[in-house]
Amino acid sequence: MSALVLMETNDASLQMLTLARKFGEPLRSVPMDAIEPFAPDAIAAVLALAADELGVSAVVAAGTDRGNEVMARLAARTGLPFAANCISAEPGETVRVVRQRWGGSLLETAILRSPRAVITVAPHTVRVTDGPQPKDLDVEPYLGRLAPADRVVQVTDHVAAAGGGVSLAEAKVVVSGGRGVGSKEGFAIIEELAGLLGGAVGCSRVVTSAGWRPHSDQVGQTGTKIAPDMYIACGISGATQHMAGCKGAKRILAINADSEAPIMQNADYAVVGDLKEIVPAISAEIRKTR
Amino acid sequence: MNPIAAAVFAAVLVVAIGLFARRAVLIYRLIRMGKPAARFDDIPGRARAEAVVVIGQSKLLQRLLPGLMHAAIFWGFIVLLPTIAIAMIGVVDPHARLPWLGRQGWYAFLVDLFALLVLAGVITAFVIRKVQRPMRFAGSHLREADLILLLIAGIVVSLFLWHASQIALGINEYPAAWAPISSLISWGLHHSWTPYVERAAVWAHVLFILGFLVYLPYSKHLHIFVAAINVFFGRTRARGRLEPINFEAPTDADVRFGAATAADLTWKQMLDTVSCTECGRCQDVCPAYNTGKELSPKLLMMALRDQLLSGASTPLVPNAVTDNVVWDCVTCGACVRECPVGIEHIDHIVDLRRNLVMVESRFPDEAATMLRDVDRAGNPWGKPQSDRAHWADGLGVRVLSAGEAAPDVLFWVGCAPSFDERAKQGAISTAKLLKEAGVDFAILGPRESCTGDPARRMGDEYTFQKQAKQNVGTLNEARVKKIVTTCPHCFNTIGNEYADFGGRYEVVHHTDFLAGLVREGKLKTLAGDRKITYHDSCYLARHNDVREAPRELAAAAGQAVEMPRNRERTFCCGAGGARMWMEERRGKPINEERVREAAGTGAEILAVACPFCTVMLDDGVRTTGAKLQVIDLATLLSEAVERRRTRDSPTSTGGG
Repeated sequence: MSALVLMETNDASLQMLTLARKFGEPLRSVPMDAIEPFAPDAIAAVLALAADELGVSAVVAAGTDRGNEVMARLAARTGLPFAANCISAEPGETVRVVRQRWGGSLLETAILRSPRAVITVAPHTVRVTDGPQPKDLDVEPYLGRLAPADRVVQVTDHVAAAGGGVSLAEAKVVVSGGRGVGSKEGFAIIEELAGLLGGAVGCSRVVTSAGWRPHSDQVGQTGTKIAPDMYIACGISGATQHMAGCKGAKRILAINADSEAPIMQNADYAVVGDLKEIVPAISAEIRKTR
Repeated sequence: MNPIAAAVFAAVLVVAIGLFARRAVLIYRLIRMGKPAARFDDIPGRARAEAVVVIGQSKLLQRLLPGLMHAAIFWGFIVLLPTIAIAMIGVVDPHARLPWLGRQGWYAFLVDLFALLVLAGVITAFVIRKVQRPMRFAGSHLREADLILLLIAGIVVSLFLWHASQIALGINEYPAAWAPISSLISWGLHHSWTPYVERAAVWAHVLFILGFLVYLPYSKHLHIFVAAINVFFGRTRARGRLEPINFEAPTDADVRFGAATAADLTWKQMLDTVSCTECGRCQDVCPAYNTGKELSPKLLMMALRDQLLSGASTPLVPNAVTDNVVWDCVTCGACVRECPVGIEHIDHIVDLRRNLVMVESRFPDEAATMLRDVDRAGNPWGKPQSDRAHWADGLGVRVLSAGEAAPDVLFWVGCAPSFDERAKQGAISTAKLLKEAGVDFAILGPRESCTGDPARRMGDEYTFQKQAKQNVGTLNEARVKKIVTTCPHCFNTIGNEYADFGGRYEVVHHTDFLAGLVREGKLKTLAGDRKITYHDSCYLARHNDVREAPRELAAAAGQAVEMPRNRERTFCCGAGGARMWMEERRGKPINEERVREAAGTGAEILAVACPFCTVMLDDGVRTTGAKLQVIDLATLLSEAVERRRTRDSPTSTGGG
């Protein structure tokens, strides 16, 4: 009995070792960065080859995004069953695992009937324990045996979050427009104010339905949930679906022609009037003070 | 008797039956492998459905011309069934006859008449398919249908020729006068070669029938055999109820949550897929299809059938249908109601969703918030439960505390009327009217929690059952007997689905309850002069047959006018099936489609009886700019009551 582990340089991998040791010694490891840039199929191929040569009874990885991806590919290419996000495992004739389902709200006990258990360990569910550390395998010999197809999927570039500006979800200030803005072009004054405040532009569902703004700008139940220090809602009535997206805002300033609009009750500051006059006036005032 | 003819016929018959049986056994075995479905209860009810839907052709006759066309062919075939035996005897021996029936003049008359009706039906079908070309056939196997129609035409034409030539030869046993059409044709058949015509016609007739028999199980016309069975096993219990998964003591079938592959379908669902005739009535009424989305209930059935018959064990999504197809459905049930062969499309959609949500964890991202908030906060918007009774501030509504027994009526408010600014108004008006009529009622306030309906329709059965059990616990503890609710979704879930979790109550929709109070004279109304058009909620009108009470209220409140699609043929607002919590990225918005229909009536008020419809249609009015006000019937009724009070005591408006 022995196990092969896929190691990353994070706590999740140290926690994973606790569970991997149950499958016996010695532990051998393949580092996740053995192949740079990251190519999940290639690592899965190395794991498959090494597992066969060492004759291990289990291949274990941390249940991180990369860990689960590589192990899924390993399972697919070897035809072995794969149990993801386990919190315990009892090796034996069959392997009994307890694993997380439904984002961790439910635990499932499952029996793994397999000559070689392929499992990942849910992060932060198992304590790091002292014990023998795994010895890194020399992956060089395996790399020569990879097929070109194994390198088809690989990281080619890292791109910063789109937009270049401030992301809606993380902005300290969000200036949003609703139906009251009136048109796609009407958003120019909203964009101007957001730019002056170093904030992001948001909008309501009606606006995305009308095609004035992309869905990525939508604040609400079915859009982005935001938690800025200041939320400026212009011409937005404040339907429940919208408020569900901005309830994390520390302060809400509502600008609306209708003093009865629901958003007025939820706002810390409310200005009743035409946003087409008020928003440019605020922008002008900010410019003056700079 | 001609021994050669007999031998040839016997050989052909054996081959035909063999080919038919091979396919029939394959299909039978497949269906026997399906997951279990409880469809053996209420046999009398099933027999009734069989009589009405199959024999009576009730669903087909909803559309007059295609309905009469199909009825002519269907009834014709039933009448002509014994002629198969008569012709098979005739093939072997021109002078032999089927005992008794073969000699009956009245039967010969019926055969003549119905063969003509079948021919008329086939011609009508060709006119519909080739000239009228309705859109509902888009995506169907059109050539297959043409071939079938030609075969049917061949069967009746050869039957006429055979009968006519028999009359010409004087070998008919029944009096020729009973068969006027065959007699008419026989005038042209007094030749030396008529005996050959007689032989050729009867052989052609029998070969057409056997060809038909062999071709049927390999084509969409399999419905001739299975539709009647599928209708028999249709649901007899509430249409709005979904079959629960047993999480407590799961069977092997329960553990395979929903349907991942074709083998995970229940046998009834498998029967559904092979029953489909590709007529497209479902597609014609589907709100998703009609607003340019990927889903067509017909193409869904065809894709599931193709995958089932192919024997593939790959996942149904995305191999048979795409993810989009599964999420486009609003579970409005228009397709189910329309289907002449008893297909229950919603059950398929929900089982596909159950697998995607509970096993694959794959569903539109934006709906995750709803599922999480129903689970954690007890409402889809994640509002604090402590705010649940805020809508009733100042109305003097009694909030039932733990340990107290419920009064006559428990007003189940629902999440949308509790928290949504626009939906609140309906609840406020209902509470006022209940007080006005002196009804002893209370609400649960913070102890009320989401019924779980949106989670269930999303396929998250686990979250639904957690909510259901919690609510049943609360309601049973308060010994609730009668529930009034303004939300058709709560109404459907509590009334039709909570019984599976030990919750049995009399659940009444507020429109029904208020209409009762008006009838009893406890609420006196005066209709205004504004035009009102009422939008039927799917979960009321179609799933639960509540259609007339809302109309009584609309008539009591103003001048009611109908939209073209009304009552059980209503068109969804776009919110059902948890679509309320998903973005509508494909096609045109469903709500705008419905608002335009409402605006077309010339009404000023679009009356609703559902908080989801309120929000969706109000959004639609805003985006289309239609000149309509979306108002709950309770609010309209409350205005009518006020109007009456002002008329009856014009001087006491100051409150005396």
